[in-house]
Amino acid sequence: MKIYPYKRLGRPITLRVTSVSLKLSDGTRDPLDTSAYSTQEQAVALGVAGHSDWVSATIGLSATLPPGADAPDAAWSDLRVLAVLTDGETNVRTSTPLTRDAEGSRDWSGHLEVLRDDHLGRASLSAYAVGTVDGVRGRSITETDRSWIVDTVSDEPVRGLRLDVRKASFNKSSREWLRAYGDAPWLVDTTARVPTVFVNTDIDGIVGLLDSNGSGVESKARDLLVAQMATDVWTAVFHGAIGDLEVEPDGGPVFPTDWQGEVLREMLPDVVPGVHVEEALRRVHRRRTGEAGWGELQTRIHYAAVRRADAAKAVGFMIRSLERTNRESET
Amino acid sequence: METGEEFGPWLARQLRLAGKTQAELAKELGLTRAAVSAWIAGRSTPRPTVMTDIANALGTDVGTVHTRTTDTQAGLPVTWYHRPGYPDGGRDLGNAAAFAFDADVQVLARETCQNSLDERLTENGRPVRVRYTLHELTGEHLDAFREAILWNDLFPHYSAVSETAGNQKVGRVVDAGVRDMYEKGRLVLLRVDDYNASGLTGDDYADGKFAAVVRRQLESLKSGPAAGGSYGLGKATLWATSALGLVLINSTLSEPHEGRTERRMIGRLELPWREVDGHVYAGPAWFGRPDPDKPGAEVARSWWADEDTVDRLLLSRENDEPGTSFLIVGAHDVASLEGESSDQDGGQRDEEGPEDTRGIERMHGRLVEALGRDFWAAMVGGGGRLPLLEASVRALRNGEEVVPETKVDPSVEQPSRTRALRAHYEGATVDRLTESGQVASRNVPLKLPLTGGARGATLGTHQAVLLVTEAEGDRDTPVNRVHSLRGNRMTVRKATVPNLPIGTNPFQAVLLVGEAAGGAAPFAKEAEEFLRAAEPPEHDRWGQTEELTLRWSPSAYRRIQNLTTEVNSAVRELVARPKRGRGEGGEALRKALTVKSRPRAKVPTGPVVPVLDGLDATIGDQGEWLITAEVKIPRGDEIVPMVPVAQLDVRSGGRPRLDWAELVAVEGCEVENGTLRFPPGTRRAKFRGATDASSHPVRTTLTRLVVDLRAGKGA
Repeated sequence: MKIYPYKRLGRPITLRVTSVSLKLSDGTRDPLDTSAYSTQEQAVALGVAGHSDWVSATIGLSATLPPGADAPDAAWSDLRVLAVLTDGETNVRTSTPLTRDAEGSRDWSGHLEVLRDDHLGRASLSAYAVGTVDGVRGRSITETDRSWIVDTVSDEPVRGLRLDVRKASFNKSSREWLRAYGDAPWLVDTTARVPTVFVNTDIDGIVGLLDSNGSGVESKARDLLVAQMATDVWTAVFHGAIGDLEVEPDGGPVFPTDWQGEVLREMLPDVVPGVHVEEALRRVHRRRTGEAGWGELQTRIHYAAVRRADAAKAVGFMIRSLERTNRESET
Repeated sequence: METGEEFGPWLARQLRLAGKTQAELAKELGLTRAAVSAWIAGRSTPRPTVMTDIANALGTDVGTVHTRTTDTQAGLPVTWYHRPGYPDGGRDLGNAAAFAFDADVQVLARETCQNSLDERLTENGRPVRVRYTLHELTGEHLDAFREAILWNDLFPHYSAVSETAGNQKVGRVVDAGVRDMYEKGRLVLLRVDDYNASGLTGDDYADGKFAAVVRRQLESLKSGPAAGGSYGLGKATLWATSALGLVLINSTLSEPHEGRTERRMIGRLELPWREVDGHVYAGPAWFGRPDPDKPGAEVARSWWADEDTVDRLLLSRENDEPGTSFLIVGAHDVASLEGESSDQDGGQRDEEGPEDTRGIERMHGRLVEALGRDFWAAMVGGGGRLPLLEASVRALRNGEEVVPETKVDPSVEQPSRTRALRAHYEGATVDRLTESGQVASRNVPLKLPLTGGARGATLGTHQAVLLVTEAEGDRDTPVNRVHSLRGNRMTVRKATVPNLPIGTNPFQAVLLVGEAAGGAAPFAKEAEEFLRAAEPPEHDRWGQTEELTLRWSPSAYRRIQNLTTEVNSAVRELVARPKRGRGEGGEALRKALTVKSRPRAKVPTGPVVPVLDGLDATIGDQGEWLITAEVKIPRGDEIVPMVPVAQLDVRSGGRPRLDWAELVAVEGCEVENGTLRFPPGTRRAKFRGATDASSHPVRTTLTRLVVDLRAGKGA
């Protein structure tokens, strides 16, 4: 629980994206369709238009303060509202002041400039109301409680991190490291910007099966394959995520901010159930770096991966489908 | 002096009403029959002295004869006429048209408002004004009103119906209505007024709007081709809404009838077949003046009432603008019960509330809601265009205002759609949405078939107008819907757009088809006609109807399905990004590899873990943090010891940890070496602490404190 040494507003700011446009390398601007962002997912996908040569993006913003920000008896003065874009990977933090729409209005708006070179992938966008409290300037009075995700690469404004899937012929790929794994049907690379699954096109029919959207036994087989792959992937990304944790002065792990953080937040509740994710991370970290308990934890990690992959469902459907096929062939 | 109608026709009607012949009057006045005949034919007028004699002969005052704004009270008084039973012994146990509807003020609002729109006087370009008044009567106000409608004459009929009520729907409703009035001592009236509409014109019996509403069933006489109804069912909702089956009408006509326009009154009662005092009655009854021209002078016809009578019947109109006032006596709203249970979750409910179908405040809310939902488009103007409709709702109790008159405001009820339509009228639409608040406009084709069923042949392609804009705020629900409307601007179809990708920004859409698409749209008139035929009595969709089959072809409805498909794909194009084939590895795998937030941790067995439930902190004199924390503990036999940890919040990196100078158990726990231990079975605990100011890296007033509990010793 967090405590501030001064009075603040109890309710959060609501922040909306109202427009997105890209500045291209030739100096022109391309206003993106409103489908480049999703107010429900609170996500902006700057890769939507398929431009490879954009330099910066301008995001139109509108923030609504909770009631009471302008109360005459408020403990703060010089109220200002800032939009802040932070990137956990590149450690870039950009703030832009917003301006009040009208005298006495609770709505503030403005534009945030996102430089492409400042970001690798996903940055987080929030709004802060700041004021002077007890003579100290720029103290935060309230913030957004859920920040927006600005993804400079993705072409789909979804909040959830989507792992990348690539097809490649392992034996002939320009990624030479893949050649060593020519007999594997798929591989996970957790060192990329987001974890990437490579599907080996040298295994005949695997791509066709994954791409199929028919019904019957074929779709059940596909689901079973997907479940098997997903179990592998989730196990790998979990290990990847806890492998390189930043450590606090007291030896405790710092919760990561990029995809590792999202993966951990998703899986830790199943790995160490019943405790807060930060506590869960500490326990996992202790077991990994300590003397004992790492082996015992593998079952939990595997379990968390199996659940994410919906393996039980896929197996169940497969079995029922086989039973049906057998019955039909008997009659 | 203000004078009403011509003397001749007026006198003729007074004589008929009084049951006198011209000869009899001549004799009473001591004049020749030819003189009276000349007056009636309009060839001459009586001298002023004779006027007084005429007044005496008719049993009225000379003023009435001079002004002729009302009928004399001479002759047969206003009364109830009950249609006698059929000679073949047939029995109607209710009006089939009224059966089509349940008592639902929202349906009533839709039907009546639509009628008013259809009857709007178009020459002056002004909107038709519709006002709904809910009026609850109790005590002496109720008595006075009952006297005005001759309740004592009606009561035997209601009793007779109640006796046989047991197994007939209409009978039961009427029985419940009468009992509610007596048991609760109240009566709810719902009055529907329209102004700047044509009024109930035409003869009492011959073809015309009056007869269509008052005398006939299932007849529709609409003023224009864009009109809403085509079944004549709408008016039945008036009677369906009355638990007593009773509706009184006062109309100001746009075209004079019998030389008059104001205060044409009639009442109509819908009861099932009944037997009273040995006479059998077919069902309906009329409240009016017995018509001397009909056999036995029994049939009641409309009469021109004086202001006083109209007042007593609570039907006074606020000015002389043409239009009609319907007074639904004993209004109830059965449909409101449905919403009740789902609207409230857990909140303490008014004991009376859920069963009361006659609460006027609730009906008020439901009327505003329905009008806003179905008629928002008719209330929107813009680009030099006036709205077609203004609507308001108010509620009174014994003449005192309970809920003030609420003008239904489309920009409140349907904010985003209103913005869209206004932008369309003002020509401010865009081709694609790049900024929130914009309105995108697209043409969508509707291929009209040829009449007469030539297979596959197309008469022409109508271009409907589709408007899409971002939904406004959280109240603008349900989202992602298309409201479709045609010429009369009533929302007919409300459909959700299917197959939208996850995370699509909430939007609202409007489809303007037929005459709503504007006069310049090709085949607007034909499209209007086609859709009108495809509209069922509920006015809630376009699809297969018998009329469509008969006039076009059995497959004609597919043209509408195609329109819907076109609309949905146009909407998707505007609001969703196009699907690109970038996704490698198949949809199923990509779905399985999305990190979704789905907190579904299994509850563990074993020791339970306490959590921090409340935290209070202040800065002490030495610059230390003083905290008081509350701990919540799940039910369990064994409780994990916890270590409270104080840290300073930072933007990134590790949080500096503060040392405790003091840690004191207040209740439900013990402190041992900086660890909190809880006796088994504890559910809540409290502790105090103070940080060691010397361990603070910065001035305390510039820090943010984070306190949490960590399990085990080694934390």
